[in-house]
Amino acid sequence: MFTHIYIETSVADHPRTQEICARFPQATRVSCERYGEVFNPKSQDFRLQKARPALILASKHGNRVLETPAGYGIGGARNFYFSHMLNCLYDCRYCFLQGMYRSANYVLFVNYESFEEDISRVAQTGNQPAWFFSGYDCDSLALEPISGFAAHFLPFFAAQPNAWLELRTKSTQVRALLNREPLANTVVAFSFTPREMHRSLEHRVPTVEKRLDAMVQLQQAGWLPGVRFDPLIYQQGYQAQYRELFSEIFRRLDADRLHSVSLGPFRLPRGYFKAISRLYPDEPLFAGPLAETAGMLSYRQDLEHELTGFCIEELRYHVPEALLFPCTVAA
Amino acid sequence: MINIVMAFPGEARPLIDCLGLAGRDTRGPATLYRNETHRLVIAGAGKIRAAAATAWLQETGPDSRHAAWLNIGIAGHASRPVGSGVLAHRITDHGTGKSWYPPQAHGLTMATDNLITVDKPETGYPENALYDMEAAGFYPVACRTTTAELVQCYKVVSDNRDNPVAGVTPKSGAALIVDRLAEITKLLTALDKLRAAVSARRGSANNLAQFTNHCHFTVSQQHQLEKLLARWDALLPEQPPWCDELQAQQQASHVLHWLEQHLNSVPVRLG
Ligand code: SF4
Repeated sequence: MFTHIYIETSVADHPRTQEICARFPQATRVSCERYGEVFNPKSQDFRLQKARPALILASKHGNRVLETPAGYGIGGARNFYFSHMLNCLYDCRYCFLQGMYRSANYVLFVNYESFEEDISRVAQTGNQPAWFFSGYDCDSLALEPISGFAAHFLPFFAAQPNAWLELRTKSTQVRALLNREPLANTVVAFSFTPREMHRSLEHRVPTVEKRLDAMVQLQQAGWLPGVRFDPLIYQQGYQAQYRELFSEIFRRLDADRLHSVSLGPFRLPRGYFKAISRLYPDEPLFAGPLAETAGMLSYRQDLEHELTGFCIEELRYHVPEALLFPCTVAA
Repeated sequence: MINIVMAFPGEARPLIDCLGLAGRDTRGPATLYRNETHRLVIAGAGKIRAAAATAWLQETGPDSRHAAWLNIGIAGHASRPVGSGVLAHRITDHGTGKSWYPPQAHGLTMATDNLITVDKPETGYPENALYDMEAAGFYPVACRTTTAELVQCYKVVSDNRDNPVAGVTPKSGAALIVDRLAEITKLLTALDKLRAAVSARRGSANNLAQFTNHCHFTVSQQHQLEKLLARWDALLPEQPPWCDELQAQQQASHVLHWLEQHLNSVPVRLG
């Protein structure tokens, strides 16, 4: 899977590093002082690297738990995110990571225990429960067989009474969850776009059916999964496509055993949009009816209202109002 | 265009012949050979000469931003067998301690190793790495104008602990390059594919001249026009933008308005 693994010298002897490297005996190992030397140089091409990303094993120093942007959340008063990983196995054309990073290499921070210390501290500092979103700079579960992220963090969150965890994913890697008792304070949220959009925009992402299979398994095992329609995408015929997607999802899932359903329109900060549309100048998604407001590119306001309004109305047929969370910030 | 930077004429000669490069040009600070698709410069020994020759190619090249760059030469290594061809995955300037990491993009399939650039030939091989005298001069300069995936350093091992550097001659250096020509050609092809993929994205918008010949566009209007034509290409790839309705617009602002209105009304179909 990886031809090259870059390893920060400080984590070369870390047991997690050793374990991961042992899985890829053919990969060439390259040592570096700080992951930024490999990941951050300006003159890199995300699209070329996406064809063969390397793995970078590193330690995250500081800023491990950050407040989410305003509007991001599912009803909690205190919202934070943490990223054990940067970048993603999948290749969604709308993904903001393509604009945020120059490199498509995967950075995996192996010092999970440092994240745990920070999460505990943040969780204990307030009276109200704190939400921790883990799928902000990556897909929470896609690399689970290598990272063992969920397998490690679920027992930790089981012992955090004041903390909620959201795992956000488009993967079907749910074995670590099925292998244990469900947790009341953990939401596994699956993101969807209609089948037609999945085909044209969500490269390497498992099909809608496969993701639904994974969700059904989780529900049957007692977990309360979440559903995310974020970003909402506009194209000709979107009404029929979203209607069909919603029917399919809620035909298979038990709406009473869902944690939440959230939705948010397609949005990108101007700088990210510029970088991504330069990588994919032929992509109709970026040539469509977009407008810039306060440094953000999004659908023209009339279209955004139409699209969001339509989806909310449709979702009301399927899910109780209390579970619906329209997001004002795109994930 | 692929730009090749080499230190010595003897090592360069097999490649000059293999690629059919002609036109020995000695007017610049280094000797240049070229054809339609490749330029090869003989920089002389050392990182400063390599950096200067690379910068000179950038300044004089037709499209250095859309070019690939390759430094080829011989190098020492503690343990790799003489004659092995290796790409650098890390280049360290021994003098400053600074390192760079050439990304190993899809299609580059040869063995890779650390490469340390030294000021004098290394005879003790303290680290299990390649030792050369040019890469740390070449690499950061080449990366100034193009993306790092298109900048690579390829070395053929000429000496190791069992075969000391004192035994390396211009003739043996040339023979080592001859033996790796097949691999070097493969590397050039792979780099050219990557280069083509990047430059295909940077192509200028369709039919720009047709518009600018039709009426006067200010610089800022020309930028708007380019953006609108790029949108056109993405949304209506099969349909040329120039049409009678556009021809009827006599001012640049009207042309831009018409294009924008038209594009905003086009139904978006993804994929
Ligand atoms: S799954 Fe999420 S993180 Fe991964 S590429 Fe798609 S949008 Fe980005």
